Amino acid sequence: MAVDATSDRPSTPNCGVDRLPSPEAWLAAAAHHGELFAPLDPGVRIALLARSSPTQMLVWEAGNAGIDAQFEAFAGYTASGADIVLAADRESLLEVCSAVTGRLFEVLRAGIRSGHIVCYVLKRRCVLEERGLDELLDALGFAFMGACR
Amino acid sequence: MQPGMAKLPHLFQPGRFGRFEIKNRIKYGACCVSNYNTRDGFITEREIARMRVIARTGCGIITNQGAYPDPLGEGKAYFRQLAIFDDKFLPQFERIAADIKEQGAMPIQQILHAGRYGGIDLGYCIQPSDVPQTLPHFRPPKVMTKEEIRDCIRQHAEAAQRAIRAGFDGTEVTSFMGYLLANFNSRFTNQRTDEYGGSIENRGRFMRELIDGIKQATPDNPLVVRLNGAELMDHWGGNTEDECFELMRQAADVGVDMISVTVGWQEAPESSIGRDIPPGYWNYLSARAKKMFPSTLVTFGNRLPDPRMADDCLRDGVFDYWEVCRPLLADPDLIHKAAEDRLDEVRRCIGSLNCLSRLFRDLPYTCTMNPALGHEVEPEYQVTPAAVKKKVMVIGAGPAGMECAITAAKRGHDVTVFDKADRIGGNLYAYAMNDLARPDDLLSVVSHYETVSRKLGIEVRLNTEVHAKFMRSVLHQYDVCVIAAGATLDRKRYAHIKGAERMLDGLEVAHGRSKTGRRVVILGGGKLGLTLAESLRKHQEAEVTVVESGKRIAGDVMPSFKWRHASWVEELGITCLTSSSLIEIGTDGVRLRNAKGEETFVTADTVVQANAAMPAHSLFHEFEWMIDELHGAGDALIPRGLEQAIQDGYRLGVRL
Repeated sequence: MAVDATSDRPSTPNCGVDRLPSPEAWLAAAAHHGELFAPLDPGVRIALLARSSPTQMLVWEAGNAGIDAQFEAFAGYTASGADIVLAADRESLLEVCSAVTGRLFEVLRAGIRSGHIVCYVLKRRCVLEERGLDELLDALGFAFMGACR
Repeated sequence: MQPGMAKLPHLFQPGRFGRFEIKNRIKYGACCVSNYNTRDGFITEREIARMRVIARTGCGIITNQGAYPDPLGEGKAYFRQLAIFDDKFLPQFERIAADIKEQGAMPIQQILHAGRYGGIDLGYCIQPSDVPQTLPHFRPPKVMTKEEIRDCIRQHAEAAQRAIRAGFDGTEVTSFMGYLLANFNSRFTNQRTDEYGGSIENRGRFMRELIDGIKQATPDNPLVVRLNGAELMDHWGGNTEDECFELMRQAADVGVDMISVTVGWQEAPESSIGRDIPPGYWNYLSARAKKMFPSTLVTFGNRLPDPRMADDCLRDGVFDYWEVCRPLLADPDLIHKAAEDRLDEVRRCIGSLNCLSRLFRDLPYTCTMNPALGHEVEPEYQVTPAAVKKKVMVIGAGPAGMECAITAAKRGHDVTVFDKADRIGGNLYAYAMNDLARPDDLLSVVSHYETVSRKLGIEVRLNTEVHAKFMRSVLHQYDVCVIAAGATLDRKRYAHIKGAERMLDGLEVAHGRSKTGRRVVILGGGKLGLTLAESLRKHQEAEVTVVESGKRIAGDVMPSFKWRHASWVEELGITCLTSSSLIEIGTDGVRLRNAKGEETFVTADTVVQANAAMPAHSLFHEFEWMIDELHGAGDALIPRGLEQAIQDGYRLGVRL
């Protein structure tokens, strides 16, 4: 388990490489929110990375047998092959790690709204919805994000 | 001098812009495009008619809405945005420029390349770097090569020349809201490693070359650049305010003639121009710009809707020109009313952002407060003298009724308004009293109706309920009856629920006529339920749970304001149970069932119904054979909201 020595906040048991949650915890989070992940088309990928060191990403990937979670090298947004990339700052990563088996989407949604997490969308809404991401986008708060507020 | 001009001496003081004399210190800003034009960028008669009204607003400088400068449409941000990449578009631009000049104003043409938000017809957008979108309705990025950067600057310069040839006296380029210029300037979207990226000096290179290119192409005509004083993107790695001002310094150094200070990007996670931002909130940005660049003209107007505030700012050196747009969409006579000391008659922009909500759904923009906006070309929408003077009774002094009454009175009809309440405003007043954003904005609508109805001699009979017996007592006294009595809540909706008799009516609670306890369950997560929940939580520290049968809350809320409710709900700790329905009301709480069939119990001492709004159809049936003409407007027909009530009332008023 990686621990950030520069942080004065306690580490959490779910934190892994680059302060990202462990793949096991991430998988458990997907299982905990089955209603959001069940509709995803095979091939849908959602990545989480640390904005401070975007070298590794933790990926949820939908397959025929269900959701998988693994670390992968991050080589750029387009190269990531992700549909959505969640780029979180240190503070919000800690909160994400603490919330993986609980109120994860509430934390992600609040992080996106406050600006601590940047949610990059690599495909247009119509494509994302076709790929089964409708409910998941909703859970991330996209229904309440709008231009020119 | 007109009486109001003496009260606002700074606003009506003449100025100069380049070699041009300006009659006052007011610049009409191209706040957003209208979407009234053709899909391929030609200006329509609808647009020209709108601009005829804008030309007559009394502003000293008038900026025509942004036109995209490139033939591919990479700069095109909006469905029906103007184009200026070819001379074929010029005849209509010539008409607009000539019309503005005829009114004694200086016409400016804005060139708008949307960059990250562009390419609407292409499936991609161009950007300095490969930074994906954060809002999924925008297109995926394509990185600009240096050759494309040079082409883009050339296209802007040619567009500027074209605008000047069409008769405009100056041009404007805009970074406002995250367009191409902002994309180069910002650390968030510019991650290039060549001379156009990296340091702030390098990030500003595109802007400097753009300004230089346009200045060289149109040396005798001034250039405005719209730049962020705050991007509100710094959480995401965007520019800090200090960096924004450093970029302004670069613009001033290369000789831009005027800086328009703006706030925010479209995707910024913070509010910039909505009605939750108090007027004057961003003035410090303009003051800083004016202090830093005393020899460059500064114009500003974000969330500064009041001419009196603008006059004070001019006096205090906050800016040189008040840049105003949305308040003039709401009331094109704003400047004239200010000059004539009739500011009490102004129909204020309430910052609902209905205009932008529609624009971002590829619809022509409209205005909550000004039903004629976008219909200037249609005679049917104009207030013209009535062919036959009629006696009109309007039932309901809410927005629909008052709008109809005022419009009908302006046409010469003899109008009486009846309302069972003791004040004008209807349910809008109740919303205003519970609104956490800007109650003043909503109350300004009410006071506008009070003032204008009084000046027009409309009789308003309050505390008077109109029912069949009353109608019989006034039989044959009126020619027209307009039912604008608003909506009520359908109390029968829950009649089958055990304990329903304990339920309070949400509108009664909103009006302050019913009191709630400390633990409140509100049925309905629409605007009434949410507004009540927020108010009870904030002002009475009640523990509030909102129960919504649909999947999401805020279903009937203006799209640009949904986020605000969602945010308040989280900030205030209001529990929202969606996909949930009521099973039973007990003495100490309610039993609910969710979509999975699971039952829960929520402790509560008060249950409030805030859903199932019902039109006033029974009145139509009752009055059908009692009057010559019977009409309806607003929520009495179909419960919707303020904008539709005002539109309905006006549309009916112009044709009675």
